[in-house]
Amino acid sequence: MSATSNRIRRPLLDRLLPVWAVLVFAFLFAPIIVIVVYSFNTGRLLSSFTSFGIESFLALFEKPVLLDAVMVSLRTGAIAAVLATVLGTLAGIALARRTGKWTAWFVGLLVLVSVTPEIVDAISLLPWLVFLGQDLGLSLFNDGTVRLVVGHSLFSVAVVSYIVRARLVGLPANLEEASADLYAPPLRTFRKITLPLAMPAVLAGLLLSFTFSLDNTIVSSFVQVSGATPWPVYVLSALRGGLRPEIAAVSTIMLLLTLAALAVVALVLRRAGDSSTEIARTIAGG
Amino acid sequence: MRNLRLPGFALAIPAWVWLAVFFIAPVGVVFWYSFGYKPGLFGTHANDKLSLDRYLEVLTPTFFDTFVATMWIALAGTALCLVIGGPVAYWMAVKSPPAWRGLLLALVLVPFWTNFLVRTIGWQVILAPEGWASQAAQAIGLPAFDILYTRAAVLLGVVYNYLPLMILPLYVAFDRVGEPLREASRDLGANRLRTFWRVTLPLARPGIIVGVLLVYIPLMGDYITATVLGGAKGNMVGQMVAAQFQTAQNWALGSAMAVTLILVIVLSAGVVGALLWLVSWPMRRANRLVLGEVGS
Amino acid sequence: MAANDDVRILASRAAAPIVRRELSRRGFLAVAGGVGTTMLLAACTTPGGDPAPAATGGTLENALSIYTWGDYDAPEVLEAFTSEKGPRITLDSYGSNEEMIAKLVAAKGTSGYDIIVPTGVFIPQLIENGLLYKLNRDLIPNIEHVDEAYLGRVWDPNNEYSICKAWGTTGFVYDKTVIQRELKTWDDFFDAAKNEASGKTSVLDDPVEITGIYYWANGIDWDTTDPAEIDAAEKFLLEELAPHISAFDSYPGGAAIPQATHALMQVWNGDARLGIMNSPDPDRWQWVLGSPATELWMDNWAISASAPHPEAAHAFLNFVLDPEYAVAQIDYIGYHTGAKGIEQMAEEAGLGMLDMVFFTPEQLATMQDGEINEAQERNVEIWNKLKAAAGA
Repeated sequence: MSATSNRIRRPLLDRLLPVWAVLVFAFLFAPIIVIVVYSFNTGRLLSSFTSFGIESFLALFEKPVLLDAVMVSLRTGAIAAVLATVLGTLAGIALARRTGKWTAWFVGLLVLVSVTPEIVDAISLLPWLVFLGQDLGLSLFNDGTVRLVVGHSLFSVAVVSYIVRARLVGLPANLEEASADLYAPPLRTFRKITLPLAMPAVLAGLLLSFTFSLDNTIVSSFVQVSGATPWPVYVLSALRGGLRPEIAAVSTIMLLLTLAALAVVALVLRRAGDSSTEIARTIAGG
Repeated sequence: MRNLRLPGFALAIPAWVWLAVFFIAPVGVVFWYSFGYKPGLFGTHANDKLSLDRYLEVLTPTFFDTFVATMWIALAGTALCLVIGGPVAYWMAVKSPPAWRGLLLALVLVPFWTNFLVRTIGWQVILAPEGWASQAAQAIGLPAFDILYTRAAVLLGVVYNYLPLMILPLYVAFDRVGEPLREASRDLGANRLRTFWRVTLPLARPGIIVGVLLVYIPLMGDYITATVLGGAKGNMVGQMVAAQFQTAQNWALGSAMAVTLILVIVLSAGVVGALLWLVSWPMRRANRLVLGEVGS
Repeated sequence: MAANDDVRILASRAAAPIVRRELSRRGFLAVAGGVGTTMLLAACTTPGGDPAPAATGGTLENALSIYTWGDYDAPEVLEAFTSEKGPRITLDSYGSNEEMIAKLVAAKGTSGYDIIVPTGVFIPQLIENGLLYKLNRDLIPNIEHVDEAYLGRVWDPNNEYSICKAWGTTGFVYDKTVIQRELKTWDDFFDAAKNEASGKTSVLDDPVEITGIYYWANGIDWDTTDPAEIDAAEKFLLEELAPHISAFDSYPGGAAIPQATHALMQVWNGDARLGIMNSPDPDRWQWVLGSPATELWMDNWAISASAPHPEAAHAFLNFVLDPEYAVAQIDYIGYHTGAKGIEQMAEEAGLGMLDMVFFTPEQLATMQDGEINEAQERNVEIWNKLKAAAGA
């Protein structure tokens, strides 16, 4: 390739990539925008817009069950995401840095976790958690949040492990070795070198875990206990009577809160002038 | 490393214990059911007589046909996710302003914090015969379009819902390549395409494989995503497993189906992996080269 | 908004203002008087005698856990119960009977749910597994307000365990702009599916509903276990219907009807009514009750055998069966609650399209109860084959 063609290709590609990215983001947000519009629907059915009004938002005050379900989901999502990220990150680092005979077995287990149909997890976890909670007397497992967290964490642990491993594998371990050579305690090496290196993967894993948990329906509907119906289970079960616009209103409020939180983070970071790794660290609270 | 007295897998122990207690033990029990039978109308499983009969019942033409259809959807969906999500992940990790990257990462996932069924309704409003997209098409003189319940709608639903599972691992993969390495490559006279092909892609390979598997494997077991927009055309084999556990309340047969399904998915993923491995042979050569330079 | 002056209900003094407020807020025109009730008091009286059930009409517990279909009760009814009787209600939801049963079986009496709402065909299974509480009918005198037609169904002939909560039936809805002839029977449904509505037809996503179409059309018992009849159903459905199906959709009223994504849809009556009423062009749609025969499904109030709050559960059942709340419930979920004289009350309340909620005795006579029997495994198999064929 000649230098000339190189110079021509560069600006074109550089202009096409962001355009493509914008298109894909528009694609991702397209149905969400519809839902925001439809949350102002005053009709009986979410999917059929009749007229504009804010009645659907008022339903949130009349039906405590809506906010209860959302709170169950948010609480579970946060705990499950942190738990899966911690377990998965440690496992992923071990997989990338301490390979041995055990690696194949462990990877096999992770593959099995991610390939097992959700309905099987659901059917099997329910009696198991009852067994742990009732027969073994570990009353912890009678708690709705604990049960949901357990159910939601399985797939996420596998996903975080994969991503963290993929981040570190093949990257030279010489920094870590140098640190160890300088007699830094292992924990310090881990905190100062390995973890920052893995951080984008950790952040991605955390976000994915939270997302999976928030959308988990099948396992949730089996393991939930009285007083802990999560949001997706509520929405699915409400199909029988026809979804109301108030469900879109809940989604809109959640979206606005999320975007507001992200905007605050962006503002703070812009002021601090941080790099992406720093952003990652800030969001992950690490 | 020499300071660590712990065995190599020490860091994996917490995850291992967690999965042993909450996955291996309970799921192992359910897999055991596959050797049993359904004891009458209102029972779901019994294991006092053991046999492999359930596995014979699984292997029907319907299971095979549905599995093949499932695989096509999963392969096409995975390929589309890679083609659509790849450039986005690359742009985010390499070309976007560094300060924005964490936020962009979060923005990819924010749409999925809206409930699945609610998102689906959003798509239905857009894609319905008299929906937004059709009206927009007619407004600019195109014919009305009706895409719901077609194969295209199957793929749209699948790509939409699985795209983040591709973009995030790819982002992480491209991000780790790092600007200095690419600069060095260009300084050594490689053009951009060559740098991408010989440096960026090989280093991103583990992440690409993870992205592909993270879309393909869960998609093979999924049975809802493809049907919500694609209707009957989105029928997938996971539906048969769920139908045994739920509607038929035959956990023995459901379990045998699940085991069979897991085996064939792993097998098919192995085949896909082997193909990728063969195709990426030139990349691996480059990979060795690059790592040799960096490591030395 | 309705004129409050017109609301005349015989109710306890304490309840009247609440009822009136709730009614007017929901925009009811008026609810006729003349419905005598003894609400609210009955549950508090101690019947004494029968020692077997733990619910004896004693003091109500301060909590009540209801495990039901999501959004399946008018919020004002639940609120009224709490404000008048005390127990705070925890509401949980499930999306399928099987899921609810699996939960109760696995929980071995520790599920913590008081009231559940199983569909009729699942009640024998619940009874056999000892999951239902034998109702103390002395505490539920308001069962007298339930129409006999909806009591004593095959799954619980003496209503020892369950009482009708809502019932519905199956028919189909078609788009008159696509199918410009009158369809009346399931045979017409098949014919339209093969012709005008080919590739634009949806059926319910439930095996017995689909095989049901064939049985109902051909005068065969819906609950048949005769292998020859089942084989014939499979052959017909696979060859004649499957190639024309574009979706298996249990709730077309929620989106497919208002958005006109299908031309012909098998649908439950309440869902069809909801979809048509909320369609931008209701005149475009025609509802047809399945004929010559169709089904009658019923969701039933029942109490879990391990109910932690049996007194409150009984009090709630008695409370909710009061005719005062029947109209609110019908308006909220769109299905008949089984209450006596409810049709007139609903008409006077100005609810729309009531011909899709209330049916004539002649129509009722064509509706069959379902049953979970030995054919279930075959039905699921046919369902899988249909899905594979329709997806090909």
